[in-house]
Amino acid sequence: MGLWERLQRVDRRVLYTLIFLSVIIPVLFPLSLPTPVTPETESFYAAIEAIPDGSRILFPFDCWPSTLAETEPMAVAALRHCFRKNLRVVALSNVGMGGPSVIERVLGQVAGEFGKQYGTDYVNLGYKANYQAVLLGMGSKIEDIYPTDYRGTRLSEIPLMREVPNYDSLKLTVIISDNAMVDYWVSLVNARFGMPMVAAVTAVMAPKQLSYVQAHQLQGLLGGMKGAAEYERLLDARDRATRGMDSQSLIHLLIIGFIVIGNIGHFAARRARAAGRAGVAA
Amino acid sequence: MKYRLPILVAFASGGLMILAFFGRGSAVDLVSNEALRGQTIVAGLALLLGVFSIVQVHSRRIATRHPDWLYSLILLLCLAAMAGFGVFAGIEAGSVYDWLFQNLQAPMMATMFSMLAFFIASAAYRAFRARTVPSAILLATAVIVMLGRIPMGQYIYDALPSWANWIMMVPSVAVQRGIIIGAALGAASMSLRILVGIERTYLGRG
Repeated sequence: MGLWERLQRVDRRVLYTLIFLSVIIPVLFPLSLPTPVTPETESFYAAIEAIPDGSRILFPFDCWPSTLAETEPMAVAALRHCFRKNLRVVALSNVGMGGPSVIERVLGQVAGEFGKQYGTDYVNLGYKANYQAVLLGMGSKIEDIYPTDYRGTRLSEIPLMREVPNYDSLKLTVIISDNAMVDYWVSLVNARFGMPMVAAVTAVMAPKQLSYVQAHQLQGLLGGMKGAAEYERLLDARDRATRGMDSQSLIHLLIIGFIVIGNIGHFAARRARAAGRAGVAA
Repeated sequence: MKYRLPILVAFASGGLMILAFFGRGSAVDLVSNEALRGQTIVAGLALLLGVFSIVQVHSRRIATRHPDWLYSLILLLCLAAMAGFGVFAGIEAGSVYDWLFQNLQAPMMATMFSMLAFFIASAAYRAFRARTVPSAILLATAVIVMLGRIPMGQYIYDALPSWANWIMMVPSVAVQRGIIIGAALGAASMSLRILVGIERTYLGRG
């Protein structure tokens, strides 16, 4: 096998090892590279910043545990921004498997940093099946859909929820999502009830959601780890996403490098074969 | 009657929701809210049906000693453990159910998802070849976006982030918008077909 063929057939174990090292090395030795902030992240920040302090917001955490590496830093950064402004957070999840448990943990962790109290500063409503009915039903009366919160307390006994009969009492919805739920929030809640919204989604979802940003159905957007890192920069609270971007930088460079090597090998081998055929014909 | 009644129910339910969408706070809205409450209860029962179904399928596999019966047994044991702890000992933070979820299930799911990075890198290296003009354009676009979306991009060439942003905000969004509008029109026409009784596949074979 010639050099060009070898370039196209690098053992996958070599590739996997290099990817592993690209993730680990920046974790151990941070590069702390500055992330340029995109306009949609600035809009996300501005939308929360524009709400009067002490307002109530809805915080749907519609994520599966598998995408936590991307979605949790976004959720943590957004909650830090909200609690910094003393916004009161009504959280829920339309993902039955894990959503309520994860947001319970994340809410508890960030609320603890700011000394916030459950029931007065934040609430976790948990999960209810059939998201379309949930999203529409909460527009009339939240208590009809969620008679109790995630901990089993009746909503009428929770001070914060006594002030929130339906969407009309909420200033903004901050959606954290790794699936098509954003489309339903936009098409069912924003379209029908006029609820202002921002979204934080995984990187693969961001291109689709940008169309909602351009149509002003979403006021801002965070796209994956990069969006979270930009947001951390705006908040001046660098954390997991900023560190994660170092790994992502190296992996992107590695993948591009391998694609280039593979293509060089492919074209060189093709040229060598063509030259060989020309030699035989001569 | 076998078909007429379900079609009539579908028409009435759909019509109610359409009217409620445009008549917020009206009597129709109140009625539709009751229907939505009922819908969440039905959806909860449907989840229970799913549990019965999965138990039935995997019990049969164990009974017939299917080649993968051991996996079915593990699945049923895990299902019983999570459901048992959840129902009888609660699901709040600090409960056994929550501990199992946070420390076993969530890391396992995250690990499975993380492995994609390895497979994507390997697949990109092996399959991403500029054999034709369209694939060369795709390749160049991917490289610009991948480099422009990372902090190192601006060090390689300071215009890369703005190029990547333009690709994301103009051609990409144009295509995405077309797809969204197309899908919405398709969904609307399918909904209308169901409402007026033309589309009857949901009624089964009868």
